[in-house]
Formats: sequence, C-alpha cells, structure tokens
Amino acid sequence: MNQRIAALTAHFFRSLTFSVTGAIYLIMGIAFWAIMFPPGQKTPESSYYVLLLAAFGAAVTFLTTLTISSRANQAANAAWIVRLPSRVEYLTAVFLAATLYAFSLQCLIALLALVRGPDLSISIILEIPPIWISLNVLTAVLALHATDFVAAGWSRVYLFGLIAIFLFGQSLSAASSNNSWFIIRLNALSRTFMGEGWYALVTPLNELSNWLQNDGASSLSKLFSLPFWPFHAIADAVVSGTFNMVQALAPAVLLLYATILIMLAADIFATKDLDLTE
Amino acid sequence: MKIAHVAACGKLHVAIIKTAVSQFGSKDPFVIEINDVTKKFYDFAALNHVTLHIQRGEVVGLLGPNGAGKTTLFKLIAGTLQPTSGQIRPTSSAWPTIGYKPERLLFPNQLRVRHYLERAAQISNVPKRDISRVVNESLARVDLTADANKRIKECSKGMRQRLGLAQILIGNPPLILLDEPSNGLDPNGQVEIHNCIRRLQNEGKTVLMSTHHLPEVTQVCSQVVILNQGQVHYQNSVDEAVAARSHIRIRVNRPIGSFATELTAVNPNIVVEGDTVYLRDNAMELRRDILVMLLKTGFDVLRVEHQRISLSEIYAEAVQ
Repeated sequence: MNQRIAALTAHFFRSLTFSVTGAIYLIMGIAFWAIMFPPGQKTPESSYYVLLLAAFGAAVTFLTTLTISSRANQAANAAWIVRLPSRVEYLTAVFLAATLYAFSLQCLIALLALVRGPDLSISIILEIPPIWISLNVLTAVLALHATDFVAAGWSRVYLFGLIAIFLFGQSLSAASSNNSWFIIRLNALSRTFMGEGWYALVTPLNELSNWLQNDGASSLSKLFSLPFWPFHAIADAVVSGTFNMVQALAPAVLLLYATILIMLAADIFATKDLDLTE
Repeated sequence: MKIAHVAACGKLHVAIIKTAVSQFGSKDPFVIEINDVTKKFYDFAALNHVTLHIQRGEVVGLLGPNGAGKTTLFKLIAGTLQPTSGQIRPTSSAWPTIGYKPERLLFPNQLRVRHYLERAAQISNVPKRDISRVVNESLARVDLTADANKRIKECSKGMRQRLGLAQILIGNPPLILLDEPSNGLDPNGQVEIHNCIRRLQNEGKTVLMSTHHLPEVTQVCSQVVILNQGQVHYQNSVDEAVAARSHIRIRVNRPIGSFATELTAVNPNIVVEGDTVYLRDNAMELRRDILVMLLKTGFDVLRVEHQRISLSEIYAEAVQ
C-alpha cells in the first residue's frame, strides 16, 4: 500500500511541479512575499509573520488541492485507478501531493520572509508547525469536498451550506439591535403577514424578533460560533505570543475536523461513480 | 429460427457452466460473476438485469451496437462505476485482479513510455528490484523497446494501443478488459494486437474484449456475448455458435410429399420443406443414409450443400 500511495503521490507532485500551473503558484508565492514581506521594510512582528503565512498556506493548499484533484480526475489515470485494491489509496495520494506541494511552497516563502524578517524564538518556531499544518490539512479536505473528483450528488451543497449557516449564525449577535438588517426584515415580514390577515404567523414572528433583540441573538451567535473557536483561539494565542492550555488544543481540534471530513470524503469517493474527464 | 438463450421476459440468466476445475487450481471456474446487474443513469437503464459468468482462460468477445451497454459493463467490472442493483464478484479479492484498457487511448502525455510503465509497475506492487526487468519484458512483448524513451504524446495511435496493452501486462493480472483494442488500427496493427491477445490466452489469462469487428471475434475469441439495449441477447462459444446454426441442405427433383414422414422419423433434426431436406445438428452425420434413402425411393438429388451461418447473421438476428 505504501509503495502504491508513494508512487501516485510522487506522480501528482511532479505533474504539478513541472507544469505551467505549478510555475504560476510559485510566481504567486514570490509575489505574495514581495508584497507582504518586502525586504526593504522594517522587521515585521512574529505574529504577523505566523498568521500571514498561515493564511497563505491555507490559500495555496486550497488551490493546489483543486488543481491536483482535477488532474487526478482525468480518464488518463483510469488504468491506474482500477489496479488499486481501494480507491481510498488514490484519494490519499491526491491529498498528500496537494498538502506536500503547498507546504513546500509555504516553507519556501517563509524562508524568504526571514530575510530581514522577525527574530523567531524557539517557542514560536515550535508553535508554527501545528498551526500551519492543521490549517493546511483542514483546507485541503474542504477543497476535496468542493471538487467533482470527490463530490457526489448534493454532497458539497450540504457541506458548504452547513458551513454557510454556521457562519451566518455566528454573525447573528449583530441582530440584537432593533435596526439590524435581520430584525428589519423580520418586522417587515410580520407587517406583510398582518396586511394579508395571516395572524397565526404574525405572533411567532414578533416573538422571534423580540427574543432576538433581547438575549436570543447573542445565545444563538455563541452556539453557532462554537465550531469556529479553534480559529479564534489560534489567532488570539499567536497575537498574545503564548498559548494557554485550552488554546493549545485548537490545532488538534482542527485536525479532528479534518479527520471527520476526510472520512466523509473517503466514504463518498469509495462508493461514487467516477466521472473521469477526457 | 429463434436464437437460443434469448429470454422472453427481459430478465436474463445466462451461464455456461463447465465443471472442469480451472488450470489455476481454483475450485471456482469463473474469474468474474455478474449477477442480475442493473445500472441506471437517472431513469435510463444502460444495463438491465444482466447476468454473465466469465470463465477463467476464456477470450470473450463482447458485441453490440453503439449504446448497447458494453462500455458501461466494462466500467462496472473495472469498478469505476457502481451497479444500481445486483452484484459483481470478485473485483478486488484477488488483487491485482484487473488490467484495463479503456476505449479512448488517454495517457499522461507528458510522461515517457518507460516512465509510464514504471509507475504502473509501482502501483501494481512490483518489487523495486524487479521494476526495470518487468518493464523491459512488457515493452518487448508489445514491440515497444525501441520507443521506450519517447514521450507518450509523440507516439502513434498503434504505439499507444500497444502501450495500453503493455500497461495491462504489468503486474500479471488474471483478468484483462480491452475496450475496442483494435479500434483505428491498420491491418498490420490489428494482427499485432490479435497475436498479443492469443499470447495472453495461452498464458491462461481471461480476456474480455469489446469490438465492432465481427471477424475479430471469430479470429481471437473463444466465447461471444451479444449485448443489446442493456441486455445480454446471446452467449455461446464461437465454435458452437457457428456450428449450431449450420445445416446440410439436400435438394431433389420433385416435392418429397408423404416420404417426409419416414425421413423425419429417422431424426427429429431433419426438416422437410417442399423439395428440400434440411439436416441440422447431429442429423448432419446422417447425410449418407438420407441420400441413400432418397435415391432408393426414386428421387434425383440435384444439389447437396453445407451451409454455415456467419457470426454477422447471428449478430444481426440478436440485435434486431
């Protein structure tokens, strides 16, 4: 199994590295470095360095995963896919190749950014791998779910729809003021129902509006923002310079999310009809 | 004449079961069993309750018009599609089970021929120390040794077909799927592919190939399966398919009349129509006796001919 996954990973890695797309990613990385870490500027703060490169790594991982997935989904690979005892090996190779390429590029830009860059203490250097790797892994898995390669039926609509609902719910705390967009819409809807004579719907809408303006929006927002805690925890810890015991769990929670999502991706991919592109 | 094996109710169960234990020593004579498989794309059934048992060591020619479901069947066996209902077994229990050459000759074009085969060897778990030898052997078997360092995009169509075969040979899979292997090849290229398939059969491989060239089936296949509208309409060995539809026709100088009763009493496979006697199946062996009977009764024999039905006639009847 290891030989098969290694061979496929090497194939996808090489095919991206020695392609125009790979060169474009490299140029994008250098452009990012030149803009965000110009050698002429004063030394940036280490938190700026860590967070900015974490965001860069996540973005590149997303793009490389999309690229390698589309290459892996080509009919030219059909003869190889049928030789594998499990399709999950193929998915693993795609995932590994994408994360390895993105992490290599991230490390290259990180090294360049150290030119007249921040002085990183040993503790910060030790903090970096869990933060970057966990974010990259999670981004790669999310990107896999976004592709035709893995998605089957409405799977990506369900997943990204759920994420969108949580993001929207997280911002509900802003609905507590009586002139927020959401409250205005609710009140307008209530008046419309009143005008139509649908009194049965008016009362629950008014109650919902009042509840949101009191404590409801805040409670809902807290509930919906719970899954996003690791991101906030990592950002807070990096800015403050130290991770407390709870914040130190954040990268592990991100990896837990990634594990659940990769299991879901593997299950979908193993049982779907492969629609290989020609 | 109705074709044997055609099910009237649309649900078809075809199995030619030979009891001989295969040369591999396995008690299971089949390399793959397809049991009541249906594959639907939305409401369209590309395959409809197909049952097909493929024996070890056979070269099976899969015939059918465009859209009959041949490629869908290949993809189901290869595992790139999942059946809507029914079972296909085994697909991976005896890994590596399947060597697959899809209909379209698509390869990672940026690779060189040798590198492509090396990757195939790695994926097929060929030990590292053996990869070079296995690739060289595979190249030699399809006569691609001289072109090993060419990029795939520089290869001709014939070379790509042979590269597809070379890739299949790596890892020694017992079941080989060839989707239109000689499509677009010149006569020499077709002969090379046929020779290669024959070699595979001699090595004990099971080959399932689809084709639109009927003579190809009679040349290289031992079994023929005809698919139409997602159903198996015919399955038989090639020799039996042709032999079963052969007959001897004896034409005499006048209508046979009441003497027909005596002739048909000799063997039920003797059919009399007007001034002609047809001898089918085992009745063909009685041709001398029948001729003697006719001559003794005063008939003049005008013509005796052995008529063999061609595979194209069987095919035309099956897909009608």
